[in-house]
Amino acid sequence: MTTFARLLLRRVALLLALLAAVFVAVDLLPGNTARAVLGREATPEQVAAKERELGLDRPLVVRFLDWISGVATGDFGRTARGRSINELLAAKFPPTLLLGGVALTVTVLASVLLGAWWATRSRGVAARVLQPGSTVAAAVPEFVLATLLIMVFSLATGWLPAVTITGRSGFPVSADMLVLPVLALAIPQIGWNTRVVRAALADAARAPHVESAVLDGLSTPHVLSRYLLPFAAPTIVASFATTVGMLLGGALVVETIFNYPGLGAVLAGSVADRDTSVVAAVVALSGVVIMLMLAVADGIRAWSLRGRR
Amino acid sequence: MGFNRRQLLRSSAGVGALLFVAACTDNADPSGPARRGGTLRVGALGTAARIERDPHANLSNDSDFLITSLVYDALTVPGDKPNTVARLATSWEPDAAQRRWAFTIAEGATFHDGAPVTADDVVWSLRRLRSVGGASKMPVAAEDITADGPNRVVLSVPEPNTQLPLLVRLMTFTVRKDTTDFTKAIGTGPFRLESFQGGNARLVRNENWHGAGVEPRLPLLDAIEITMFESVTALGNAVLGGQIDLASNVGAIAGRTAEGRGDLRVVRRANDTMLGVAMRAADGPFADPRVRAAVRLGVDRKALVDQVHSGYGTIANDILGTADPTYDSSIPQRTRDIERAKTLLREANFDTGRSYPLVTKPEAPGEVESAKVIATQLADIGLRLDVVEQESNAFYDRTWLQAPLYTVSWGTNDSTIFYASKLMSSASNRNETAFKDRDFDAATTAALAAADPAELERSSRRVQAIQHERGGYLVWGMADGIDIATSAVRDLPTLGGFGRVQLERVWLA
Repeated sequence: MTTFARLLLRRVALLLALLAAVFVAVDLLPGNTARAVLGREATPEQVAAKERELGLDRPLVVRFLDWISGVATGDFGRTARGRSINELLAAKFPPTLLLGGVALTVTVLASVLLGAWWATRSRGVAARVLQPGSTVAAAVPEFVLATLLIMVFSLATGWLPAVTITGRSGFPVSADMLVLPVLALAIPQIGWNTRVVRAALADAARAPHVESAVLDGLSTPHVLSRYLLPFAAPTIVASFATTVGMLLGGALVVETIFNYPGLGAVLAGSVADRDTSVVAAVVALSGVVIMLMLAVADGIRAWSLRGRR
Repeated sequence: MGFNRRQLLRSSAGVGALLFVAACTDNADPSGPARRGGTLRVGALGTAARIERDPHANLSNDSDFLITSLVYDALTVPGDKPNTVARLATSWEPDAAQRRWAFTIAEGATFHDGAPVTADDVVWSLRRLRSVGGASKMPVAAEDITADGPNRVVLSVPEPNTQLPLLVRLMTFTVRKDTTDFTKAIGTGPFRLESFQGGNARLVRNENWHGAGVEPRLPLLDAIEITMFESVTALGNAVLGGQIDLASNVGAIAGRTAEGRGDLRVVRRANDTMLGVAMRAADGPFADPRVRAAVRLGVDRKALVDQVHSGYGTIANDILGTADPTYDSSIPQRTRDIERAKTLLREANFDTGRSYPLVTKPEAPGEVESAKVIATQLADIGLRLDVVEQESNAFYDRTWLQAPLYTVSWGTNDSTIFYASKLMSSASNRNETAFKDRDFDAATTAALAAADPAELERSSRRVQAIQHERGGYLVWGMADGIDIATSAVRDLPTLGGFGRVQLERVWLA
């Protein structure tokens, strides 16, 4: 457990360093937050007054320490336009979590099934389809995929809505609006993870006890679930944990294309406005989610390796 | 099949013409009288990070501006001819010196909660607009905004200004005196805010609207649902996919796609956005008027409109404010003359041995592309330009008002005097071209003081002539504003610029 605590501490320190880097990076970008808020008509005096109001005339270190001490008490501060960042995140994060969560679930189910199918039939249809298919899927960028999906399933056939319309709850008004964004996010990840699952299973299959289980005449599903998956699990779970980061990153692009109400759009707009606190808040939140997922992966890894060391 | 290529072409041209005629008549002469009822689903551009509920703050989201201008009334709004028409103020008259303007508030105007609109409310709102939005939104100092009786408001300025009614268009949203919470959005406008969530809003008809200057008096639509779109592509896809009825300001690319669709109509609002180049006239390489003339002669305006605006636009003549009712179309159109341009550069001893940066920014659609096309075209006269792309925020911090050569964009192109006084007079703090010309200043001042329309027109023509002759702008073309609507949507606004937000007359067939 102390190892786990030390690992957690190291990750928190890493997150802090990352947030400091975000502050520096946004500060280095040319441009001015106060002018972005006030518009191009603002006079230099107005800009200076706004900067004082927002505390932008203070040194970067002071601003960072001020912000991070607020975060420690659960207050992310205010946007340059005066809105509460907590409220902003509370409104925009749940839809992103929903999108990412569904995409992760789809990715996990599909890549485990496809990977297992491929691993058990290494020479059949599975291999012929999945060998090139998974490579293509993993290589296509989300925005290309999203555009293709919209063209085919929405504009050409009219089967699914092209964009998300948000209801009063802050979520899409109908569930079918989730289908295309989830597919655009999940397909590249399915491509990659299917290959990982297949390789991990193939590795595990070479173990002598698996061979003897097969020779004993146990059924394929039985061998797969009892002998192969537990051994392949650490690799597979680690891959899924990395997928979480990819999904959050991809959500930024996908949300914009499908007009999905989430964090991605907030982040893009905040970078354009040089609204450092908002950018850092989004990074912090995503960082925490990724850290949690890595912790879960670590846990599963520790559990599946129990007694084997 | 006895059907050759020519016949096919002819028949498809015929079909095209038919569709075109259908599209035109659809808009101009709706079959049957206007119908009451229905909910209009509108998509407008906006960014979640920039959502703004305060009607006097900088409304950089189209979606927020649309919501605000339907919920609140401004004193005046844009019109066709004249370019300023009544809204919360039903009439306005100046004193003899054109310095003291009295605006009369619409009779029976009430807020959404039933309270009557008083001069005190208007004065409070205008003063707040001045303190929050600054002089560019409210040209009159706070102490010079006063009430004159229960339903009259007086705006006084130190110099004569015939343009005050124009300057209080659209932005002068009126709220109840001492309002602090703008999320409730209690305005006096044609629609009431029913709900607001993350930039999206549902508005319902205000049955008690005063309706000054509008026919029919009350809106016909039961409700308007406004959805905010982060990207212009998503906005286009939403209307193409039938998820919204109107995509506001969706741009030329979506327009081209929708053009072939029978169930959609492309609304072209002329004189929407000016894309041009500001050449610094005070000093630097473009200070010599001959060099500026050479640049203006060196571009192929038609090709620019075709390439940059995808043909959805018109060429311009280096004068800002093309939709002004007093726009002088008798000034000869400047066309491309490479030889003359080369001669002018030579006469001005212009150094063609080096290259000059043309700074641009991805702000208005086609702006960066326009810079690239211009650079290519001007290479033909021996002027070498390096296109430097800056992010918008950095551009306004470092380049605007300072660099010798950069691209600019402006909307609301229906007043020459507005641009003359705001962008080109010596005293302006937004003098993008650092243009200082005594004759120009005199003509602008005369136009601002002109008591009778004939005098105003004469001064306006002088202003335009100087701009055309030696101004600092290359104004090569005007982009149309492009909206896409389903064919059931009728009486959509056709004015350029922010005229697009005036949806109170729209109805659904």
